[in-house]
Amino acid sequence: MKNTTLAFLFVSPALLFLLAVLGWPLVQAVILSFQDVGVIGSQGRFVGLGNYAAILGSGGFWYALGRSIVWVVGNAAVQTALALVTALILNQKFPGVRIARTWVILTWIVPTVVVVIIWRWLLSTSGGMINPLLIQAGVVERPVGFFSSRQSAMTTLILINSWRWFPFTALMMLAGLTRIPGDLYEAARIDGASTWQRFKRITWPLLQPTLIVLGVVGTLLSFNVFDVIWLMTAGGPSGGTQTLPVLIYETAFKGYRLSEAATISVLTSILLMGFAFLTTRAMTATEATR
Amino acid sequence: MAGLSLNSVKKRFGETEVIRGVDLDVKDGEFVVFVGPSGCGKSTLLRMIAGLETTSEGRIEIGGRDVTGEDPARRGIAMVFQTYALYPHMTVATNMGFPLEMAKRPKDEIERKVREAAKILHLEQYLERKPRELSGGQRQRVAIGRAIVRQPGVFLFDEPLSNLDAELRVQMRIEIARLHQDLGTTMVYVTHDQVEAMTLADKIVVLRAGRIEQVGAPLELYENPDNAFVAGFIGSPRMNFVPATVKSAQRDTAVVSAPGAGLPELAVTTRGAPPKVGTEVSLGIRPEHFVAASGATAALAGKVTLVERLGGVAYAHAQLDDGSAITVESRDAHEFSAGMMGRFGPDPRRAYLFDTEGNRI
Amino acid sequence: MKRSWRQATALLGGLAATALIIGLPFWWVVTGSIKLPREIIQRQPTMIPHSFTTQHFEKLLQASDFPIYLLNSLVVALFSTAFTVLLALPAAYAFFRMEFPGRNTLYRTILLAYAFPGVVVLIPLYGLFARVGLIDSPVALVIVNVALALPFSIWMMRSFLATIPREIEEAAVVDGAPTTTILVRILMPLIAPGIASVAIFAFISSWTEYLFASVLIVSDAKRTIPVGFAGIIGQYQIDWGLLLAGATAAIVPVVALFALVGRWFVSGLTEGAVK
Repeated sequence: MKNTTLAFLFVSPALLFLLAVLGWPLVQAVILSFQDVGVIGSQGRFVGLGNYAAILGSGGFWYALGRSIVWVVGNAAVQTALALVTALILNQKFPGVRIARTWVILTWIVPTVVVVIIWRWLLSTSGGMINPLLIQAGVVERPVGFFSSRQSAMTTLILINSWRWFPFTALMMLAGLTRIPGDLYEAARIDGASTWQRFKRITWPLLQPTLIVLGVVGTLLSFNVFDVIWLMTAGGPSGGTQTLPVLIYETAFKGYRLSEAATISVLTSILLMGFAFLTTRAMTATEATR
Repeated sequence: MAGLSLNSVKKRFGETEVIRGVDLDVKDGEFVVFVGPSGCGKSTLLRMIAGLETTSEGRIEIGGRDVTGEDPARRGIAMVFQTYALYPHMTVATNMGFPLEMAKRPKDEIERKVREAAKILHLEQYLERKPRELSGGQRQRVAIGRAIVRQPGVFLFDEPLSNLDAELRVQMRIEIARLHQDLGTTMVYVTHDQVEAMTLADKIVVLRAGRIEQVGAPLELYENPDNAFVAGFIGSPRMNFVPATVKSAQRDTAVVSAPGAGLPELAVTTRGAPPKVGTEVSLGIRPEHFVAASGATAALAGKVTLVERLGGVAYAHAQLDDGSAITVESRDAHEFSAGMMGRFGPDPRRAYLFDTEGNRI
Repeated sequence: MKRSWRQATALLGGLAATALIIGLPFWWVVTGSIKLPREIIQRQPTMIPHSFTTQHFEKLLQASDFPIYLLNSLVVALFSTAFTVLLALPAAYAFFRMEFPGRNTLYRTILLAYAFPGVVVLIPLYGLFARVGLIDSPVALVIVNVALALPFSIWMMRSFLATIPREIEEAAVVDGAPTTTILVRILMPLIAPGIASVAIFAFISSWTEYLFASVLIVSDAKRTIPVGFAGIIGQYQIDWGLLLAGATAAIVPVVALFALVGRWFVSGLTEGAVK
């Protein structure tokens, strides 16, 4: 179809919308980062790279970055494992598979607050369900304080977030799996390939494109998760779960240091864009050389 | 009803030239078939005529009008796709009436034309069904019906029978031939099946690697191929090619010999300049053009490796003493058997000579 | 394809484990919401409730504006969904079939929109909305939700369009259909499950959105469910019964919706995806 004008007509509403609602604020954030605005609405002077120097020099930024990396890696590991297994299960034929496929995503369709309420209750040391069960099963002797230490809080949050997101990821993987022709598996079976070999030589390679996209987009989304962390631990205890998005929010809305928050945001964005760029480059490079 | 002409048409995809300069004239009402091996560009050429592909160079005229660069809908053409391309969510009637709807024709006109087309194609009882409820042959007819209602100047068919089973293909081939008789519209038909080409065409265009190898009536191509490619492509089973050498040549005859294959000499009619003595040539003889070889001196000798018996006809595959393989047709199922040594006498009046580049001598 | 005993057991085991991991927490919550307070906090938790009470739900309806939150969420989600689909479909088609300069680069950068933390965008947007008087307005939420859902929706929509055989579009071109007609009368009906998937995605995304809803809406009467509930959590820290009732109440609408249209989401993804 060669009608360029019509093409622009089709594409512009969405593009302009995105530019206005996402693009423009980004520019504003960059501008803010070069000023010293405090409370929202107040005026600020131009301070050049002063904010950047301060942020990069402060330990807070790097610590939060560290927390974010732990968060992302933890989520990626747990979610990918759970999602892949779930997707493989859902790709089989068994009675009720349709129902399973529809309802597996239950944990994603409920609002985050509900997830928070559920797990706050389940994991609480008084009145929750998990601790009594663990004690009953003899796994622990005393109730576990899931949020008492920095490490346990981070681990627990990663598990909760994975619980919430893995079915969605699983469905995306399932979409990729269903595109692999069943004939390939049948031929492999006749050739004598075991289940593991079929997975390794057919499923895994043919799933790569899907996994790559999910990997990149998933990491980006994961990195930017805010609500679960904020509502469960507000970044605590003692900053143990204070990832970069949480830090930004606190700096802006609790610390009333808008420009600082904008600076951290810009740094984060640069980081993520760099990541996305590099990984897609590397992935397409390996694809090409295969 | 319209004629079609292609002038120096070329097509490039990026750096690759896919159609390398095609000139063709199709008369109004002719049934032209584009044949050739995969990748020869026949579908691309058809799509260029349709307007679905742009033309890199050259001119296309339909009904005397230059349509190069015009939208498909305005060229006065209709197309039947290999996969039928029916709109799955619309009824047969709506499918067939769609082009008229797009042309904003009044409803009663659309209904009338759809019904007429349905009658011609025996689809009347299926008008309210959806495509998925129909068989392959019926779907193909709906696709043809959708093309008919537009009353186009030129019908374009892109390998329409490839997705049908063998028996259905024969039936539909006859129906398309009948359709052409009834409607008399110019038809351009693409296929890789030379049987379809031979039976349907008024004129066959043989294409290879983006160029026309030969244009002519089916029998003309069969009896008078311009080169080895056309000779080998037309006619099934394929023509046999045996390497031979020129012993002597006169104005319109050449005597060749293939001693390695057991053939001392054979006199073949030539056209054009007589070849030089000693030239390496290719002797072409169709499987159906062998005569009984008992006692004849002009015969190929070899061992029969496999015999395919179809009932009324048998094909003996033999390996000649010089290593080349031939196929010989026989009407007697028991004339040949695997393992026997045979002598196969080519009919010199039906033999052809080709030079090392494939051109006809 | 007959399965060996080992494979069947593994499958069943995996399925049971997944079902438990996903379903058990919900089971506990829903049953908890109808238990008497003393049963909720007893030492030995019960799988099947021994008591029954509706007091938590009564308290929920009286003490909070839950029905209002529900309505707000619904309105915002419906509009967000509608606009997302309306904007994503033509854009996806343009990226897929139409040619225009910069098409490929643009398409690849669209998903990069997710590289920015929501908070980045929040601050300047808040300022902008404040200046045009859109603070505390559902319109602001719709705008934000659409922006957040668009990139992924366009991506999904495009891959659904890719499953339609090219020849059907070509037949329509030869039949004389203008581009818009092709999109509306040929493609849209054929990717209906895909459109449903995108719509469901947009709806759920809007339904669960917290960050922007918490900042852009200030008056209680306009709050959406996620924010409203966060408020309740803060208020009633230890009243588990109330919280569980609230959680259950918040789950019910989405579950009901999903019971109706959920299969479209999955079939859109799995069956529509042949390419």
